[in-house]
Amino acid sequence: MSDREGTSKITGCTLCHEPAVARIREPDRHLCAAHFIEFFEDRVARTIRTEQQVKPGDRIAVALSGGKDSTALLLVLSRLLPTWERVHLVAITIDEGIEGYRNETVQAAVQLTETLGIEQHTVSFPELFGDNLDTLLIGREAEACTVCGILRKKALAVAAEKYGATKIATGHNLDDEAQSVLMNMLRGDLPRLIRDATKETPSFIPRIKPLALTPEKEIAIYLFICNAWKVLPECPYTRFALRAEVRGMLSKLEFQNPGTLQHLIESKKKIEQYCTDMPVMDTLRRCRECGDPSSGDLCQVCRLRHSLGR
Amino acid sequence: MKIILPDNSKKTIDTGACTIEQVLIALDINPVEVIVSVNGRLVPEDAVATENDEIRIIRVAHGG
Repeated sequence: MSDREGTSKITGCTLCHEPAVARIREPDRHLCAAHFIEFFEDRVARTIRTEQQVKPGDRIAVALSGGKDSTALLLVLSRLLPTWERVHLVAITIDEGIEGYRNETVQAAVQLTETLGIEQHTVSFPELFGDNLDTLLIGREAEACTVCGILRKKALAVAAEKYGATKIATGHNLDDEAQSVLMNMLRGDLPRLIRDATKETPSFIPRIKPLALTPEKEIAIYLFICNAWKVLPECPYTRFALRAEVRGMLSKLEFQNPGTLQHLIESKKKIEQYCTDMPVMDTLRRCRECGDPSSGDLCQVCRLRHSLGR
Repeated sequence: MKIILPDNSKKTIDTGACTIEQVLIALDINPVEVIVSVNGRLVPEDAVATENDEIRIIRVAHGG
């Protein structure tokens, strides 16, 4: 099959013989743009259905940074929305205040929600924590991802509650999840490895991860096909993260041994099963300062506030 | 073939007809971390590119 301008040879779609845009493994097949979109959205719908992530009447706060994962998440959820009963979406964008990075992604988030006609709210670190991330990190840049992760999670929980959400949906993909499994193992952090934020408790708004079984590369393909791929700046703090090293290591392994990411997730699930009813998890208590649910005397946010001198 | 790298720099390589995966490996790029278009059309890694093609490599892994 010849391309219009060059002479490249592209395999046809396994299902319809149109030019393929992607090769999918397990089962091994080539898919054209239309069949790839169908495959992609079916898998997300199946993930949501299998794990009962959405119930009638849910108001889902979608964590929308404006980056590729959350953009794909909002796109696919908005397309699945008519199949659910009385479910509403609200997009929450956290503006940490990162110079040269976040402004552009916040603009992308606002534009996307305007196009899709979805309610959107932006909450910022200064309004919640008194300063932007750049200022909070002066002299401790190497801890950027830890500090940002703790504060962003808190900001999202506060905003979700403020806007009446019953679920928080995040754009974590298969690569992210596998990286987290390996990072928790490398840190020897078993409680964090098996902590399940998806369970409903009186203390937390449950978090759902509809893209957790979707490889990062397929998210990029989906956005490219949907004309929603945008080149955005990279977070300047990424270079400090352990995740960056783990990401490189795992993607090499995934190329050499396809299925590695999936196998890590399966291993985590087996460990979770073995740990059911074992005293691995810390008992959930209340933070003595802010009253938020916490595994220790102080929650992570209050511990961080102390270490930041705030 | 003309190559547009993830950082938008350009180079021309002379490999004869070969698969996209072979091009990426020759450039020391992991195929898991990128998507590739040939003459503006997204293709799988086993697509075969030839001398007249323009190959754009887009990095998917993105910190943030």
